[in-house]
Amino acid sequence: MISHRHTEAPWMRNLFIGASVAFVGLLILLPVISVFTEAFRKGLAFYFTSISDPLAMSALRLTLITAAITLGANLIFGLAASWLIAKFSFPGRNLLLSLIDLPFAVSPVISGLVFVLLFGAQGWFGDSLSSHGIQIIFATPGVILATIFVTFPFIARELIPLMQEQGAEEEEAAVLLGANGWQIFRRVTLPNIRWALVYGVVLANARAMGEFGAVSVVSGHIRGRTNTLPLHVEILYNEYNFSAAFAVASLLALLALVTLVAKAALEWRIRAEERPAVMEEVV
Amino acid sequence: MAIDARHVSKSFANYVALRDVDLHVEQSELIALLGPSGSGKTTLLRIIAGLDTPDPNPETAVIVDGQDILDRSASERRVGFVFQHYALFRHMTVFENIAFGLRVRPRKLRPREPELRRRVNELLDLIQLGRWSGHYPSQLSGGQRQRVALARALAIEPSVLLLDEPFGALDAKVRQELRRWLRTLHAKIAVTSVLVTHDQEEALEVADRVVIMNQGRIEQAGTPDEVFHHPASEFVVTFLGNVNLFHGRVEAGRRVLSPEANGQTTRVFVRPHELEIERRQSSAASVAARIQRIQSAGPMVRVELTNDQNDSITVEMTHEKYRELTIQTGETVFVHVRDTRVFAAII
Repeated sequence: MISHRHTEAPWMRNLFIGASVAFVGLLILLPVISVFTEAFRKGLAFYFTSISDPLAMSALRLTLITAAITLGANLIFGLAASWLIAKFSFPGRNLLLSLIDLPFAVSPVISGLVFVLLFGAQGWFGDSLSSHGIQIIFATPGVILATIFVTFPFIARELIPLMQEQGAEEEEAAVLLGANGWQIFRRVTLPNIRWALVYGVVLANARAMGEFGAVSVVSGHIRGRTNTLPLHVEILYNEYNFSAAFAVASLLALLALVTLVAKAALEWRIRAEERPAVMEEVV
Repeated sequence: MAIDARHVSKSFANYVALRDVDLHVEQSELIALLGPSGSGKTTLLRIIAGLDTPDPNPETAVIVDGQDILDRSASERRVGFVFQHYALFRHMTVFENIAFGLRVRPRKLRPREPELRRRVNELLDLIQLGRWSGHYPSQLSGGQRQRVALARALAIEPSVLLLDEPFGALDAKVRQELRRWLRTLHAKIAVTSVLVTHDQEEALEVADRVVIMNQGRIEQAGTPDEVFHHPASEFVVTFLGNVNLFHGRVEAGRRVLSPEANGQTTRVFVRPHELEIERRQSSAASVAARIQRIQSAGPMVRVELTNDQNDSITVEMTHEKYRELTIQTGETVFVHVRDTRVFAAII
């Protein structure tokens, strides 16, 4: 809602608006534009060669696979954790809440290192893993694990406040009407949280595709095998292959734009759904 | 179907909600559980519904229609429950809300679509909201929502109907209407019902029997007349409406508002409408008091006074009587008990 109370002086308003526009332009818009100009600097042909390069394609594939598995895992974990925290009180509830926030607090590089310490060749489980022929670090499983770790707060954080606000009364009503656990989840809980859930998925997805720090530590940068798109961009850049680096980066930027559009559409959808309810409250 | 709850106790981490409560509800009866917040009335209701479990005790039982339902889960009890804040499914239309209990039945017991529609439409007629079947709960007023909640609870043909402060979130006028409507509805469908409320007026008006609870115990159970005119405890007296407390005495079955000659006193309770004001002291049973405030808007005139011990006294009288007396704020008058009936044996 736009407030129509203009209590501050016009010059002050203009100053703030100007400052915000300058900030966004300088720090966000300009870099995005530069990514695309740099990407196309050597022409369209070079651009398409760069992004269709087998190594770039394999990085794209790994990024998409990682994002898909991460989202699946986070969906299950996020739903279960939010359900637990919002609808029940149990010993350790606050601890679980803090643990969910941990990935936000810890530097991604540190979390990557932790996985190396646990599953690496010299790590705690290194011997038993290698004796079974399982490789986690410097392989796809490591990349996926690290990505799950850095993205798991997104869905839970989105759902917990909403579920707490909604309370458990609708679920109680459903139980008393004879519904079983699955019916309650499917027909009552899920429809009530669906938009927040999708919103959380969108945010987690954006982070999963763009994650660099944690993945960089566990991946080992094996070209064509354990490189994700962000890592591939870094390699190309370090090899002074600027146009190719920006071309691949533009892929990531495009994925981000798609995510942004999805997020905006969702917000619009949520607001459209809430508006009639608020307006007709007085009937 | 009759409800028989026996030896029900419930304690939470830091307080005791119910202390060995026995509750009996006759078939087709509408009873009100009345008490202040924290008296345990809602906990008792939730235990009957299966939303809470009583403290383990081999003697504890909740018997509905001759069967102990304590071992059954809430979803198996077939109990109709109405929540204070409606708890309607916000993403479902009025129709789907009412149909929910039928749709979630196991396939074998689920009515076919035409039969289901017929039954939901019947309930929509019953709550007079047929036109609203396609609306969402957020588009309805509070009173309408609560009627939908009631229809939803009735759709499963419950063995008993439990209502948890059903009118608590509504404004005074809608409350009045819904109370009367509930009364007629109950006369029509005669399902055994338990209504939880903290509003004594509501309990006395709606219920066949009133069960008054305090601090996890039942203080008294009886018809509205019984509990109002023959309260069994001081708590019941003070909880059922306004009451004046005098440090007086009882003499030959009459309440006298002044202490005995030797200064010994008993606590005497008198309701505002049982007191009378007179300009001249007619007997020794009257006490002097000064008028502080007169409130004449309403069906009765309320006069607030203080006696010489600075106790406040409230008197209610008809407008006719008020005009006759021509009293004014600041005057000193005399107050005495109008009727001679002894209020309660224990007092």
